[in-house]
Amino acid sequence: MKQFNVLIVDDEDEFRDLTIKRLTKKGLIVEGAESGRKALDIIKTGRIDVVVLDVKMPGMDGIETLGHIRALQPLVEVVLLTGHASVESGIEGMKLGAFDYLMKPIELEPLLEKLNDAYEKKRLHEEKIEQAMIKKHMAMPS
Amino acid sequence: MERKRKYYVMIIRRLLLAFFCLSILPILSFAWLVKDSVEQMNIVKLEEQANNTIEHRAEVIALFLQDRLNLLTMIVELYPPEQLMAQETIEELFLAFGKNGDIVDLHVIDSSGYQHGYVGPYWSQIVGKTYNDASWFKETLINGVHISHVFLGYRNVPHFVIAVTDPLKTFVLRATINSSIFNSLLLSAQLGPNSDAFIVNRAGEFQTPSLLDQQSLSEQEKTLISSDTKAGPFHIGGYVYATRWIGNKHWLLVLKASIDDSLKFYYTIRDRILLIFSVIALLSLLLATFITVLLTRRIEKADREYAAATMQFSHIEKMATIGRLAAGIAHEINNPLQLITSQAGWIKELLPEEDPNTVKNLEEYQKAVEQIQYHVRRAGTITHRLLGFSRKMSAEKGSVRINDLLEETISFIEREADNNSIAVIKNFSEEMPPILTDGPQLQQVFLNLLNNALDAIGRRGMIEIATRLHADQRLVITFADNGPGMKPEQLKQIFDPFFTTKDPNKGTGLGLYISYDIIKKLGGEITGENREQGGMLFTIILPLTGSGAAGDNR
Repeated sequence: MKQFNVLIVDDEDEFRDLTIKRLTKKGLIVEGAESGRKALDIIKTGRIDVVVLDVKMPGMDGIETLGHIRALQPLVEVVLLTGHASVESGIEGMKLGAFDYLMKPIELEPLLEKLNDAYEKKRLHEEKIEQAMIKKHMAMPS
Repeated sequence: MERKRKYYVMIIRRLLLAFFCLSILPILSFAWLVKDSVEQMNIVKLEEQANNTIEHRAEVIALFLQDRLNLLTMIVELYPPEQLMAQETIEELFLAFGKNGDIVDLHVIDSSGYQHGYVGPYWSQIVGKTYNDASWFKETLINGVHISHVFLGYRNVPHFVIAVTDPLKTFVLRATINSSIFNSLLLSAQLGPNSDAFIVNRAGEFQTPSLLDQQSLSEQEKTLISSDTKAGPFHIGGYVYATRWIGNKHWLLVLKASIDDSLKFYYTIRDRILLIFSVIALLSLLLATFITVLLTRRIEKADREYAAATMQFSHIEKMATIGRLAAGIAHEINNPLQLITSQAGWIKELLPEEDPNTVKNLEEYQKAVEQIQYHVRRAGTITHRLLGFSRKMSAEKGSVRINDLLEETISFIEREADNNSIAVIKNFSEEMPPILTDGPQLQQVFLNLLNNALDAIGRRGMIEIATRLHADQRLVITFADNGPGMKPEQLKQIFDPFFTTKDPNKGTGLGLYISYDIIKKLGGEITGENREQGGMLFTIILPLTGSGAAGDNR
């Protein structure tokens, strides 16, 4: 399994810590943030590949945070996690560019699967960009 | 219902009363006012007329009397007694003054009562008579003048006597005057067919015949004589009386006018007016009744419609509230469920690291953790269904053939129905067009209804499924069973979440709630009712085009 960086954004400490613990055990590099603002600070550093984002949070909510993430780091993939959100808010999240969304309660395996898919997508994306850059360089040698 | 009926009856009563007060009462009071004032006016007019007439007649009669009296006085004063006592002089005078016929005869009588001269038709009976004992003769000598009552006398003709004496009282000149001239005067004073005009003396005796052949005055009428007459007209028993004293208060001229006579013309008008008023009143009453009943019907209808709308609205409102409530609860439960499954998963991950020799019941722990995760999944399914998430996956709409979908769904339960001796009867219409809707969700509804029917029947029975195309371009699908049906109070709750009549372990009470939600979202309707012959009947009505998805038709 490839190693990649995951950020868990959830205001519920118990869930956040436990998920970090378990994903770390599965070999991922995992960080946590208890609010949208904190999450944005970490993402700015550019070391995050996939974000697990809770939709309902006090202060800046998941959908708003998602908008900021897309603006800051368009290549970072986001998986929305929701306890209550209706179909509408899920659809809204997808429209804003979330990779997918999951309903609580969710077991670790499907979450892990989803994270791998998201990372794979990000990787492919980055590869494409790289190839495009190479082509560009070959077409116009400096 | 009874209370409502009373309420509408009350409205009708009040409206009618209002109509009555506003239309009929004014008409009636106006009619009464007109009737009364016209009557009063007529009487006043009659009084006036009576007054005018009597004034005039009294004047004429008084003039006539005065004229005769003046004539005799003049003769007495002009002629010396010796000459007047001669028969020739009397005859000369009679010829001169008696021409117009009202002086019937003339007597000359000396103061001792001996008659000296006579001119007239009854010479043979009267000549040589003495009058010294006659009261009128004495009165003449004392007062100088005498006017007699009217009497018929020897000649059976009404007449009266005027006698005067000379200042020296040496003789008396007496003239008999035909009073029938009064009769003609009074006849023209008659104010109507039932009116009267006559002269009475102080004793109340008729001096001229009553025009109505009245023989004597009534007691009330006699009071007229005693009263002073310059006061206005009197009313006695439907008559207006006007009186005037004439001839030195010797005679009383009485005019008696029937009020009824004068009102005769008015009465015909009054009757006509009353008739018109009654017709108008009756018509407006009829109209008012008609309008009132119409109005009340409208109110009743509007009330009914309003009540129905309110009920429907409150039902929708209730379902929406329940939906919000259920979603809220589901959300609150999802977070703890997440933690339970996470923690259990953590244990599950760590358990294999334990030494099987030190942990005696390792296998049991692993099994228990599996169970915990299984039950969390179960609970999660319920909360997801409540939140509508299980449905979002297949929000795609496609062309669906209802009959085929039903066949497929029935095939799922056919074996179970067979095992329980339950017949499934299909009454499908052949002309069902394909509709654009969400097939998997609709199938879930059908499956819910079929499972409910199977559970309700138990063993031995039948389920009848029918489809037909309604005239207004809607599909009707009915599910009928011959199970026990529902109690009326339960019928109201069948679509509520967590309402179930099944065994607590068998049903979640969400099937019909979700079915209701799905059908609503597909733009249709679902209703449940008891069949007359027992059992339940569910009816689903679906639009042909789905809810606003006609454009998606590829």
